[in-house]
Formats: sequence, structure tokens, C-alpha cells
Amino acid sequence: MNTQEYINAFAMYLRHGDSKNIEIFCENPSHINRLAVYRNGFYKSCIDALSANFPMCEKKLLAERFREIARHYVDLFPPEQGTLVGYGANFPKFLENFLSNTGLNNKESLELTKSRKITSNSYADLINIAQLDYAWLKSLMSADSNKILTIEYVTELLEQGIELTELNVRLNPSVLLVQVNEHAFSEWISLKTNNSDNNLSKATSTRFVMLWRIQGTVQARLLAPAEVALMETLLGKSSPLSEAFEAAITIDENFDVSEAFTACLQNELLEIQTN
Amino acid sequence: MSQLSHLTEQVLLKVNNLHYPQHIHAGEHLGAGLSLKPEHLDDILALSLPQQSVNNLWFEVHTENFFVEGGPRLNYLSAIRKNYNVSFHGVGGSLGSDHKAMAAHTKQVKALIDKFQPSLVSEHAVWSKSQGKYFADLLPLPRTQDALQSLIDGIDCYQSGIGRSILIENPSNYLDFISDMDEPQFLVEAAKRTGCGLLIDINNLYISSKNTGVDALNYLKQIPSELVGEIHIAGHDEDPTLGQSLLIDSHAAAVATPVWKLLEQALGLFGHVPVLVERDANIPSFNELMNERETAQKYLNQCEMKHSHDISLKEERG
Repeated sequence: MNTQEYINAFAMYLRHGDSKNIEIFCENPSHINRLAVYRNGFYKSCIDALSANFPMCEKKLLAERFREIARHYVDLFPPEQGTLVGYGANFPKFLENFLSNTGLNNKESLELTKSRKITSNSYADLINIAQLDYAWLKSLMSADSNKILTIEYVTELLEQGIELTELNVRLNPSVLLVQVNEHAFSEWISLKTNNSDNNLSKATSTRFVMLWRIQGTVQARLLAPAEVALMETLLGKSSPLSEAFEAAITIDENFDVSEAFTACLQNELLEIQTN
Repeated sequence: MSQLSHLTEQVLLKVNNLHYPQHIHAGEHLGAGLSLKPEHLDDILALSLPQQSVNNLWFEVHTENFFVEGGPRLNYLSAIRKNYNVSFHGVGGSLGSDHKAMAAHTKQVKALIDKFQPSLVSEHAVWSKSQGKYFADLLPLPRTQDALQSLIDGIDCYQSGIGRSILIENPSNYLDFISDMDEPQFLVEAAKRTGCGLLIDINNLYISSKNTGVDALNYLKQIPSELVGEIHIAGHDEDPTLGQSLLIDSHAAAVATPVWKLLEQALGLFGHVPVLVERDANIPSFNELMNERETAQKYLNQCEMKHSHDISLKEERG
């Protein structure tokens, strides 16, 4: 028996439920229905991982509906790494296609969405909620920084007479910016904190949300346009603080640089560029 | 020049095969251990020192759950590692197939090994990847010469990648596939040809015996004790449709009485081997798991006493 043929036949069964090719490798034909244990195990592991990685998305859709949709995702995008940590990177994009009006050509998706009576607005929120879930996960698992710019270090620099605006800094690896609908962010927070919907924002404008990790916990908040300019200057690349402040002031001449810098220090957002 | 490169590569491969640091019995000082669950972290850290040292409590984690760059997951493992031995149990290495993807996988495993220095490292004698897709389950290999070679190649890749020997675990079988040899032969041959050891999962063996009719005790008797570096026990469930005729390896229930019995027999054959109580679903309180762990430790203590008794008898006769 060729092992590769066996594995190909098994893989075809797992992905498509077609046991025709694997049956010839089974010793007892009356046990072929037991192959289902492996197929169920494959889907369960993947769907459980999506459920863990997109918890608020699942909460919004409710478990049964989420798992139905997740199963479609697994069919189209089975995992490719030998781990399910971080599985579902393109799940938000998949949701967008699955739930969008153009995606409704698909009969199955039509049935799913009709049965939920999801309006097009809540489609958009759901996609944003999935984006926020995944950004939260990425921030949680991102690299630790051992070069955080602390208040103590800044005090030392000031005592040495070093000009802070000349410091080369960048955002620490846990800081992520996600562009979402303000209402979706409000709903995501509400789902996360188990608060009622009474205080949900009615605003539907697109805003940037910053997520970051401090003391092992991920935080998230909406950014003002000037803050976005500041953060984008320092995202993924080192720049002098002065450059980041100028970017913010260009957007809002009343931007309080001192207050923003203190908030950055308190939230451990910045790391120092070392040569 | 190309011939020289080829020779160098061969020599390196040979050196790798001959000089893996042997870790088969690296856990012989360990007692009974538990699967490490994040929800039990506070309970574990709150254990007093005498409790920690009793019979060398240790913890096992699924290696791939720690394939992260940083953050609290690694921090909590560091906190545990300060006071306890840990072992890494891989579930996504796919030793039986798709070895091209192995290097990227073992690079991450090695980084974790370097950081946490686990007593034991193990994987499964199964396949889980094909043509770049990962099937996230422990899928059985046919026990043929061709599959044996594929498993041996996979173990070699894995051990080369991490720079030390591993233990490989027997799978749970739900049905039989066409085979040239039985499972003990298959696993022992793989171990002998790669220098790896064996992790005997007693629950898997019990499930296989019920599902496919294999004689569990005879199976254990075919395993040379010097190859066994770890034992797993866990709970199982009946298939919701087929009932008792198909047992499922769920890790979602307490260890069943026949599995405890089989553990006792295994320890009688193998001597003192670290025993892990696995639990991955329906996670009970930490105290409840510790009670199961205490039962496993009692079997280990009995085994130790019997071993000491046998030595005394030999000395008296000698």
C-alpha cells in the first residue's frame, strides 16, 4: 500500500466527506461509518479555535449560527500551520464576502442570512466586530518589548538635559490600529463587558481604534484624528518624537502634546530605538 | 565541490542521528503530573511549597498552544516553570506525513524548549498534514513498511529540528486499516530505528482494545520497558450514536475504572514511569483533578514499593 495514496484518500474524505477512495484501505467494511469520528474531530477543532479567536463575533451571532458559518470558513480555508493559535486571519474578510449582498448568490448563505434577518448595517458591524476580535488576539499574543520608554527613564533623560523631542521611538509591538464603524466598536465593547445596549453609540462614522497590551491585558479605545496621525507616524518604524508631534499638530493645532506624551508613557505604548 | 557538499551533508545527518541527547528517561524522577490548564493557574501558584514538592508534581502542555511571540500565555508558563518541571506534548507535528513543513514547526518547538527546558518532549505516531493543509486531529497511519518509513523520516526530521530525542504516542483507533504488522511492532521498530522513546497512552490503548478488539495486556507485554518514557491516562466517552461499541478519546471525563486497572498492569510491566492525567474538556476544579492525580501517584508508589521489595528479595537470595 502506498502511504501517500492512503493519506490523499483520507484527506479527500476529511475535506469533502467522500469516503469512496479511503474505503479500500479499511479492513472491516462494516466500520467505515466510524471514519466520521476523524472528520468530526477535524471540524470541531477548527470551529472551536474560531470560536475562541472570535468570541464577540460568536456572541453576536449566537453559537449555533456562528458554528454554521465557521464550518463554511473551514471548508474554504482549512488551517495551514500545525497549530490553531491565530487561526482565522482572513475570517473577517470571509464574513464580508459571505454576508455581503453579492455573496447572497450563494444559496446556503442566503438561507443563513434570511433566517437571521440580519440587516445590511449589522453585517457591517459583524465584520468590524470580527476585525476587533482578531486585533485583540494579535495584540495579546504579540512580542514583548524590553525597551519600553518608562516615566523613570524619561525623568533620567530630563535630568541629563537630553531633549526628549529628539528621541527616536516607535510603538511597541502590541499596538495595533483598526479602522471600524464607531457603532460597531461600541457594540464590541458592550458585548465584551456584558453591558446592555442602552449606551451604544449611534454614530456610524468610520474611526480608528487603538488596541494595546499593558500588564498582560489588552486595552482598546477610539482615537481622535490628531492621535491617529501621531500613532501612524510611530507605527512599525522609529521616528523622532518631534516628527510624531508635528503630524498631530498639523491635524489639530490645539492638540495637547504634553498630555498625549504622558498618556503614551502611562500606557507603555512607546519603545526606544536602540542602535 | 558538489560531491564534497553531499558528503558533508551525509556526515552531519549521521552525527545528528547518533548524537541526539537521549531524553527517554529524563522524566524518571517525576511522579504523577497534570495537564496544565490556564483556568487553574491561580490554584497552582497558590500551592504551598510542601504540596509542590510532594512526589514531584509536574505539568504538561500542548506545545503548539505556545506558538506565540509574547504576552501572558508565555508569562504564565514561565511562572509555573519556576516551581515545577514541565513536559511539551506536540499535537501538530504530523510525524507521518508532509515533512517539508516540519522545519518551520520544529523551529518554534526548539525556541520553546530552549526557553523552558522541559523534562520531556513528545509527539504522536500519526499524520495530520497533507499538501499544505492541517487537519487538526490525530489521524492514524496504516501499519505498513512504507508508512513506518514515513514515520521514521518524520521522527528524524523532528529530532534533528529540536536537537534532542522525543517520545512518540500510540494513537486511539476507531477502526482498523490494512496493515502489515501490529501496533506494538510498528512503534517499537520506529523507536529502535530513530532513538526515540515511547509514550504509552493507556486510555488510547483501552479505547483501541474496545473499538478494534486488540488484546491490551498482550499489547503492553510487547513493549520493551526501556523504551517507555511516559504514560498518559485520561477519560473517554461513548459515541452518542453507537454507544459502547465505539469509545471516543474525549479527554472530557474522569479516568474510567478499567483504565486505572490497565495502568496498574502497565506499571507492573514497565516499572516507575511518570504518569500524566490528561484533561482537555469539561475541565473540573483543580482540586478534583488533583484527586485523580493522587490516585495515579498511589499506583506509582505501589509500583515503587513492589520494586524495592523485589530488590530486597533478590539480595536475600543472592
